[in-house]
Amino acid sequence: MDLHFSREDKLFREEARAWLHDNVIRERRPHAGEEMREFDLAWQRKQYAGGWAGVAWPKEFGGLGLSLTRQLIWHEEYARADAPDNHLCFVALNHAGPTIIARGNAAQKQLHLPQILRGEVIWCQGFSEPNAGSDLASLKTHAHVDGDDLVVNGSKIWTSHGHLSDWQELLVRTDTEAPKHKGISWVICDMKSPGITLRPIQIMTSPNQVHFVQCFYDDVRIPRSNIVGDMNDGWNVAMSTLGFERGTAQVRDQIRYAFLVEKMIRKAEERLGSDCPLSRDEIGARLAQLRADMAAARAMTYMVVSRAEAGIQDSQSSLMRAMVGETQQRARRLALDILGPYALENPEEDDWVYFYLRSFSITIAAGTAQIQRNIIGERVLGLPR
Amino acid sequence: MNFLLSDEQTQIVDTLKSFLTGQAPVARFRPPAPQIGNSDHHLWPQLAELGYLGIALSEAAGGIGLTAAEEMLAYREFGRQLLSPAVLGLTLAVHLAAYENSDLLPELLRGRMRVGLANPLGAVTLGPTCAGTFHLMDGQDAAWILACGPAGAALLRSDAFTEIVPVAATDSAVTLGRARLTAAEPRIWVASSQWPSYQRAQLLIGAYAVGMAEATRDMAVDYAKTRQQFGKPIGSFQAIKHLCADMAIRSEAALCQSIFAALVQAEALPGAEFHSTAGKLVATGAALQNAAQNIQVHGAIGFTAEADAHVYLKRGHLMEQLWGDTRQLRESMLAAEFPG
Repeated sequence: MDLHFSREDKLFREEARAWLHDNVIRERRPHAGEEMREFDLAWQRKQYAGGWAGVAWPKEFGGLGLSLTRQLIWHEEYARADAPDNHLCFVALNHAGPTIIARGNAAQKQLHLPQILRGEVIWCQGFSEPNAGSDLASLKTHAHVDGDDLVVNGSKIWTSHGHLSDWQELLVRTDTEAPKHKGISWVICDMKSPGITLRPIQIMTSPNQVHFVQCFYDDVRIPRSNIVGDMNDGWNVAMSTLGFERGTAQVRDQIRYAFLVEKMIRKAEERLGSDCPLSRDEIGARLAQLRADMAAARAMTYMVVSRAEAGIQDSQSSLMRAMVGETQQRARRLALDILGPYALENPEEDDWVYFYLRSFSITIAAGTAQIQRNIIGERVLGLPR
Repeated sequence: MNFLLSDEQTQIVDTLKSFLTGQAPVARFRPPAPQIGNSDHHLWPQLAELGYLGIALSEAAGGIGLTAAEEMLAYREFGRQLLSPAVLGLTLAVHLAAYENSDLLPELLRGRMRVGLANPLGAVTLGPTCAGTFHLMDGQDAAWILACGPAGAALLRSDAFTEIVPVAATDSAVTLGRARLTAAEPRIWVASSQWPSYQRAQLLIGAYAVGMAEATRDMAVDYAKTRQQFGKPIGSFQAIKHLCADMAIRSEAALCQSIFAALVQAEALPGAEFHSTAGKLVATGAALQNAAQNIQVHGAIGFTAEADAHVYLKRGHLMEQLWGDTRQLRESMLAAEFPG
């Protein structure tokens, strides 16, 4: 048990800090549209040019191949530098890319990995369906083999930024007879393929905010060479890189939120004024508890990274995810209460209002809080199904 | 950076676990046990012999030479077994005596002295002169009493306290009395600026609460696996499963924050006040909520004195009140410097 960092790690930290200090893009990140795509790709290109792209990717695929400790340091410094999160690059860097690294063939690696690192392409995810959410393995979008192609029919939904993406990691059913986990294939889908239509879905933040699309596939032809891993082994392929970063990127989020709480304290003091000391106000009590819980959430993330570094593979990280999600949601709600009546204004321009509304997705996306609790109950505590 | 226990630390914990489960099983509070007071002080000489009383004290001072991290881990086990809270008086007295080079140290380290706790009832003065009204916890028959607050910690002779009125304790596994100090001079006074006794106390109370939160989580999970209704173990129902999952989330949050706080103290990093305060807040919250939910998962048996669930609830309240309740701690939490 220790909080030490070696001399070399400390030097690495200084190097990362200096580069981030000089290079972070300071403009406000647009919340939507082509402008957002351009912003995120530009920041990725800048990191690539500076030699900082793909901190968790192995060296042989163009990444930095950093140890978990150094990834942690990078993300800590990234958050402290208030560098923007390029969410549009998330699927490519943290899911599709690592999946191709783990299970792709030479041609797939050669084509896709450099484009991702260089900030040339955006990937999206085609996993959930209208009738396959928490029960993802019951997905029905179907693909049959026709010569060298797969022919896809069906629909995917909750595809974040699908309308801004070049490629999609797509799960399709290629064997309808097999048990539900065994008949799925993981394929690379070109979003410009004929037969794909997109229905934009506005989200709850403010009018005309398109975050998701629903994708319809109407006899969409995808070369069989775009299957990653074996045909019908797509479930295992998809699972092989879940939790790829093993918590290190979570630390970035933790530190961002810790700084947000500090900002909230200052704003609350300002709003209440000297007549009503924060320590005597209900808002103050909530802020104090939040400060403590946020520290604990970060400590849990350090535990997850420690376990990963020791090679322990289990479902303990779901404890951290549950705590982190709910603490962040509580922070966003409290921020709103600090704004008072101003919370009723400008949901697009005011980050506190915008991200409060966005925070409702935290306990839904990538496994709802309730599914997390099932996992904790069954896989961590050993309770019967 | 590593939050996992080393092999040596695991061994320290395992030794303590097997000692405590043998000598201080939680079932010791069940009827027909008198349920009044606590005889754990009989264990102090053995705990001393095993090295746990001076675990974080330098070898030169007669300790084991380990750190706040190992002391925290020991307290997690003390909490799991609901050891008398007076052990905290002993540990802190050892630190104070070592700081002052006091001739009391050898006796304390041998576990031959009994040190009760004084917890303020309202505003009190702690310093080279102490005054105010207190609760004495497990202070009956103890020759010494330890009081602690943000300003520092004081070791007082128990006869410095007057107007002692025994009262029935909500946590019937401790003795409780009201008492008063009037311009009393402690035998040892160490200010927080000299040695951070208050932060260490918060850390250890937090660690104790971690053990409690984990113990109740484990009790609830075990019961949910064995108790059958509607032809199935009740733990297969999501209503119960999710209660157990919540208990696991809280315990893990409390444990991780206690480790964070302990390492910050052990390595003298900035943020000791911030992290130890957060540690106690999160852990006593977890201990209390888990204790309550453990009763709920047990159903009617959880409401009886025949099950151990209620003792964890009551001890949780005691720990939450000790040397700064949630209200006061939130105030310190808000004022603490953010370490970044």
